[in-house]
Formats: sequence, structure tokens, C-alpha cells
Amino acid sequence: MSVRRRKKHLLFATFEDFDEARDVVSELKVLDLKEMVVENIELYSPIEHPEVEEILGEFHQPIQRFTFFGAITGAVCAFLLVAAAAQSMFTVQPQGGKAVIPLPADIVVTYEGTILFGVLSTLAAFFIYSGMPHRLRKYYSQKVSEDQIGIEVQMLPENKEKVRAVLEKFGALEIREVTQ
Amino acid sequence: MTDYSMKDIEWARINKDVLTSLESPRMAFWVVLAVCAFLVLCGAAAEAYQYKEGLGVALMDRPHFWQLYISNFIFWIGMSHSGTLLSAVLLLTKADWRKPIYRFAEAMTLFSILTAAIFPVIHLGRVWNLYWVLPYPNERTIWPNFRSPLLWDASAIFTYATSSALFLYVGMIPDLAICRDNAKGWRKKLYTTLSLGWMGRAREWLAFRKAYVLMGCFLVPLAVSVHSIVASDFAMSIVPDWHITSFPPYFVAGALYSGCAAIITLFVMLRYVFKFEAYMTTEIMDKVAKLTFAIAMVWNYLNLSEYASIWYSNDMFEHEVLIQKFIGPYWPVVWGMLLCSTVAPFAMAFKKFRHNMWGMFWLSLVIQLGMWLERFQIVSPSLASNHEPWTWAVVWPGTVQLTLTLASFGWFTMLFLIFCKMFPSVSMYEVKEMVFHRREASSRSEMEDLEKVKNDMIKTEEGLA
Amino acid sequence: MGLKRMLENWSDFRKRDYYENEPYMWGMAIDLNKCIGCGACVTACYAENNLPVVGEYHYGRGHAMHWMRIERYWDEPEGDADIDIKKDAYPERGAHYTPMLCQQCNHAPCEPVCPVAATYHSPDGLNTQVYNRCVGSRYCGNNCPYKVRYFNFFNFWKELPHPLEMQLNPDLSVRDKGVMEKCTFCVQRQRAAKDAAEDAGHPEYVEDGIIQTACQQTCPTQAIVFGNLKDPKSEVATLWREHEVELNRYEQDKTKDFRGYRIFEELNVEPCIVYMDRVRDTEA
Repeated sequence: MSVRRRKKHLLFATFEDFDEARDVVSELKVLDLKEMVVENIELYSPIEHPEVEEILGEFHQPIQRFTFFGAITGAVCAFLLVAAAAQSMFTVQPQGGKAVIPLPADIVVTYEGTILFGVLSTLAAFFIYSGMPHRLRKYYSQKVSEDQIGIEVQMLPENKEKVRAVLEKFGALEIREVTQ
Repeated sequence: MTDYSMKDIEWARINKDVLTSLESPRMAFWVVLAVCAFLVLCGAAAEAYQYKEGLGVALMDRPHFWQLYISNFIFWIGMSHSGTLLSAVLLLTKADWRKPIYRFAEAMTLFSILTAAIFPVIHLGRVWNLYWVLPYPNERTIWPNFRSPLLWDASAIFTYATSSALFLYVGMIPDLAICRDNAKGWRKKLYTTLSLGWMGRAREWLAFRKAYVLMGCFLVPLAVSVHSIVASDFAMSIVPDWHITSFPPYFVAGALYSGCAAIITLFVMLRYVFKFEAYMTTEIMDKVAKLTFAIAMVWNYLNLSEYASIWYSNDMFEHEVLIQKFIGPYWPVVWGMLLCSTVAPFAMAFKKFRHNMWGMFWLSLVIQLGMWLERFQIVSPSLASNHEPWTWAVVWPGTVQLTLTLASFGWFTMLFLIFCKMFPSVSMYEVKEMVFHRREASSRSEMEDLEKVKNDMIKTEEGLA
Repeated sequence: MGLKRMLENWSDFRKRDYYENEPYMWGMAIDLNKCIGCGACVTACYAENNLPVVGEYHYGRGHAMHWMRIERYWDEPEGDADIDIKKDAYPERGAHYTPMLCQQCNHAPCEPVCPVAATYHSPDGLNTQVYNRCVGSRYCGNNCPYKVRYFNFFNFWKELPHPLEMQLNPDLSVRDKGVMEKCTFCVQRQRAAKDAAEDAGHPEYVEDGIIQTACQQTCPTQAIVFGNLKDPKSEVATLWREHEVELNRYEQDKTKDFRGYRIFEELNVEPCIVYMDRVRDTEA
């Protein structure tokens, strides 16, 4: 979300628990509505918390679409593999009086193909929508993975003090200032 | 939720406890690892001997074309279903008691599959041509035969191994981030690479949760289908007592059963070794034991009803094999199985027994023995009393087969030990979630109780006034 | 694999009788009344098909490689014995010999279960085993109800002192360890006869009696009859007709109680060998 040439100004603060984090985010959103101060808010947490995440806004992550189309591709590919293999070895097809493309037998491999491609496409979607893999931010606090909640706010340098005031009002344990 | 235990555990303490388990191992660890490595080497030696001389050294013969290699294969694939049951099925049913224990169960799944994968390789007559079973394009346009249940096996096992490995890995990413934040040296590099830069951002968590649940949705039908396909190795043949329609669900039930028993074994071991008493509580053991008991009853029903339907079939071949199972040469195997897998699990009906950790440990070992015998009694008695009476023969597995069986246990244990020391065997972020939700639920119910008391007091006052 | 060829293959295969246009359907008729259990057929098979003699130790372990075997069963003697029967002694008429070999089933259960397609049904009606392709999974051996498939558990030919390798039949291979093998109705002899017929100018037709399997050739009582079931004048087709055994049924519909039967035909495997039951004298 950053424009190439312009520098990003960030404040990264850690909080004790989700209630404080939720209050901070709400307050910042209100501030943003009134004065257009904040450009982006990110939430860092050791576990997910749907309430706070909702306040941050809509995240468009249609992972299910990937899964659906992946699964269908898998089914088609697996079935074609079986059918084509049988056709290519036609001379050995008379086996036990069975048909060339025995549907009962092919169902199994088709099923497995569906699942395999479904899983792989879900994984691909996960990587795409979570933005991973990426480098660790230098200002990332290790306390986030332990028991504190982190809020990262991106804003223009002139609004830094206002944002800092909001953060401190709700009891930020540590605030780091970053420019990149 | 009426179970509020574990709600007061500090998150920081969770991190500390689990990360301590990753520290330098004690002497006992190295001793056990050495023993397992030794068993694996013995197995490799036995396989080398068999490779050179031919499968006859395994004492298999006509009609016992299959014996321990196949029954071990089924046993290990079966054991792998536990992890999937615990992670995927209980994830979808939102059972929060699975959270402290599903990580090692899933690791067990992956390593069981890796152990099982050895057996189709070593049981082939011409191992060096193994790759012909895989569908790869070649200039003779020869492909494997997809009508064969063994090919369905290959595709199912491949899918299952890939999916389980990916599921385990994806579920571990937040934990690997925690390890990365607290590690030094080569470990830090390893965890940094593996955690892919996870920072716990909202975007990452949302994508993660969705993808994880979707993968779980796929893993549930996969687990059922994999063991059904393994069962169709038998069910699609015409051998008496193999050609049974209920074999696929019977095998799946047996797999879940032996898998749950294995979870109990590892539960008690990890709890003892790493001192995870706060996380692997007696309440959770109670629930796991109840689940195992339920599955034991399902398996027992399918097993006993199989005998009933054979008895009603009036098919002379099937009758012969059924009778021979109980009074024929393999009777110790069959009766041993019934004792260990049908009679023994009734101990879990008693609450006191369920809460006794070491009692459950020994019971789980007995159940696993029973299930191993069950796999053996599926393979050998049917071949011993097959259609053609002139070929009836009794063969007990020889040294080579038994060595390879033990080697497989050593291989599995070795992989699991290394896993426990490299990766967190308790899922830290899920336990934090569990603690968080239980705390909220408990404070909510406290508030409700206080409200009720207040209302009662008001009513009483009004009544007195 | 052109489209035209693919459509041809498919339309061939979807016909009611896949083997309709084929000139041969090899079958056998074995008269158990004539069989004396001498085992000459077994020996001939060993010689013809490069079968290893495994020795007493391996035979006892079930690793024997006899594609044709004489199965001896002891029946209870019919009727009352007129002599005192001791517990361990069986009167001669209680023995029953069955030469058992691959039945070349048209619905062979061993064929669809091979993971690498090393066995399939030829247009001749033979169940073929492709030694080169076999990886030794032994599923086919399990699925055979007659257990006439033999697995090379060891490399039995590896220590053959010179000049004993001269005894081997050059018309077919010697199998390595890890490979399944079984009776092929002496396919090498069939091929030779068909080649001779082609040279003689009538490739589609080999006369009845020209192709003799090794076991048929050696049998002293001529209990084994081999031939083309599609040739109505061949001896084997005549026998099948006389005993009212039809190929593609799992239960025969006979007008009288003829001796001819097929073993395990109720499993719907369509074996190509008819056995004619012994004539038993229950009065004596």
C-alpha cells in the first residue's frame, strides 16, 4: 500500500489486551473520519480476534473461489489421466471382462485428484491473500508473538503527535517510531 | 462451556513452557534415539538381504503371497487417521479441547504415513522397478493400470501425505513465528525461513483461518477415502473373507480406533517427559478416552456384524475361512485381537480409570497390540484357507518380516523424537485462544451469576417490604 | 493414437462378444477318469517351460514352481468296504487326481488387479503374463481362486553348472526373481505352429491336432485334449458340446447329468478347461 518514492511514517505501539486495542482502533477510525489523519492501521496479535479485525474494515479474501476451481480442475485432470492412460494402452485393456474406462474404478482416482488440487489451490490462495512469504518488519516486536497486541499506524509526519496522543491515552506499553 | 480449567494460564507462560521442550535434550533422549536408529539399521540390513536373495527369505509362499508387509502397511496408514480426526474433524466441530493435543497427533499422522510408505516398496518382488507404478510419460506410452486397487492406493497415499504435510505445516506457521522470535543460531535461521515472515497481522490471520478450515474440510473426506481405498485392496479381490462390502468402513473405524489409542500413548508420554500437566489435563484425557471408547464400540460392531453376515451368506468358502479363524492354526491371533480390542477397552467405561494416566497408557498399548493383531488376522487366515484346498498352508512370519516390523516402529519413533525437539509439540497459539475464550466465557457466566443473585436479592427485599 | 484408431478400438470393445472375429479360443478338456496321476504332464511342463526344480526343502516351504500340478485328494471310499479298513490305510479307490493348471479364465480375476498391467487377456483367449513388466506385487496370485500363479521367490536358476544350461528351452525366457509366472498353454508352440501355418499360406487357420501342449503330448492315457473351441470340428469343442458345457455361463443348463464340469465356475470366472468327472462304481 505504499507509493514507491514517498517515505512511510509509522508508529508501532504494543498494548496489554484486546479491549485496549479495540478502543484504540475505534478512536483512530473516528479521528480519521473527522480529520483524515490516518492512512493505514494494521493489527498484530498472537491470536486472531474477529471483533477487532472487523473494526479495521473489509478484507477481500475470496479464498473459496480458488478452492472451488482448483477442485474442479483436479477432478477433470485426474479423470483425463485415467481415461487417457487406458486408451493409450488399449491392447492390454481386456482384463477380467471389464470395460475400457471403468467408471467405478475411475471414481476413486478422480476423487483423490479433486482433493489434491483443492488443497494445493487453497494453499496458493492463502499465500496470495496473506501476502506471505515476506521479510520481517524491522520494528516488529517480539512481544506480539508472546502476549501483547501491536498496532501499527501509518500517517503523514505532521499528524504524528495526534496519533501518539491517542495511543498513549489508551495505555500503550511501548511506542516505536519508524520511517522507511 | 462448563469447563473453565486452564483459564488462568498466562500467555507468556504458555510460550515459555512449550519452548522449554525444544531445548537441548537430556541423555535419555539420545539413548532412545540410538536404540531406534539401531532398529532402523537392522531393518535396512534385513531389507538388503531380502533384496539380494528374493522374497522367499521372508518365508512367504504360495498361497501366502502377502503377509506382514501388507498388514504393517495397513496398520501404519490406520494409525495416521488419528491426527486427521483430531485436527480436521474436531476443528470443524469446534471442539476446543483438541487444541493442546492436535499438534503431536498431526505429526504422528505425517510420520505414520512416511513409515507406511516403506512397506509397498519392500514388499515388491522387483523393487528396482518400483517407479513403473507411477504414471509418468515414456516413449513406449505405457502407463500403470488404474483399475488396480493398488494404484488407487498409490494416488490416495500420495494425496494424503501431501495434504497432511501441508496441513501440519500451515497450522504450525504462527508457532514457528514464536519459535523464531525466541531462537538463536541455526534454529533461528530455520524458523525464519519456515515461518515465512508471519507477523500476526489481521490480514494474515483472516486468510490463515479461512485456508486452514478449508483444508480441514478437504482432509475429512480424504481420511475416510484413503483407508477405504486401502480396504479395497482386499475388498475388490475375490479371496473369501476379504471380499466383504463392509471392509471400507470397518477399516476406517479400525484406523480411527488405533489412531486414538496412539494419541493416548503419546499424550501420556509427552505430558510426563515435558511436564505439560497444565495443558494436557485430565479433563482432556477424559474426553479423548470417551472418544476412543465410542470408536471402539463402532469398530466392535462392524467386526462382529461382519461375522454375522458371513455366517448368513451360506457361501462355503467364506464359512470355511470364518471357522478356521477361530479354531484353525491362526486362532491365537484372532482371540488375542478380540481380547485386546473388544474386552480391554471396557475399562474406559469407568471414570476413575479414565483419569488414571498410567492406566490409560498401558491400556492404549494393549489396544494397539490388538489392532496390530487385527491387521495380521485379516491377511493370513484368508490366504491360508482360500478356495483351493490343496494349497492350504500355514505360514508364520519369519525373522526378516519381524525385523522389518520392529524397524518400522523404530523409524516412526525416531522421526517423532526429532520432531518433538525441533518443533513445538503443543500448539501455542491455539492454547492461547483456548485460554482466552475460556476466560471470557467464565467471566461472562460469573457476571450472569452475579446478576441473578442481585435480582434475587431485589425480589427478596420487595417481598419483605 | 489417431482418432480413427481410437474409435475403431472402442467400437470393437463395446460389441457383445469382444472375441467374435477372432479365429481362436483355446480350450482344454481333461478326463479325470483317464488320469492315473502319474505326473508325466508335470515333468513335461518342467522341461518345456524352463521351470526350476526347487528341491525338497523349498518345496516344503511352498516355493515350488510347477505350473501344472497333480492334486491328490483322498475321498471316502464309496459304498461299504469289504475289507477291514485300518485307520491310517486308505483303499486305493479313495484317491482322486486333478491336474490343476491355469484355467485361462475369460473373466480372469487376476487381470484387473495388477498395478502395472503385466497381465491381460489376449484375443486368443489366453491369460497372458508379461514377465518384463511384472514388478512382483503378487495381487494376481492372491486373486486367483485356483492358486495357479507362481511367484519366483528366489532366483532359482542362478547356480546352474555348465553344461546344464543346455537343457533350457530356447523358445522362451528364464524368469528372474520377483516375477510372477504361470501356464501359458505352451504359447511358444502355438506361435511356432501359427508361423508354420503362415508359411504354408493359411495364416488364419491351424489344423486341430497340430498344436499340442507339452502336457497333452506326454500324457500316457491321453487324458488331456487341447484345441480351438471356435473350431466346431476340433476334438475339444466336440467334448465340450457332448458334455453340454458352455463357455460364457457361470451355471450350466444341462439336459442330462453329463460328467463335464468346470471348477469354480460359479465364481463367474469363465474358465476354459472342462474336467470330466471320474466314472465311479459304487456297487463294488
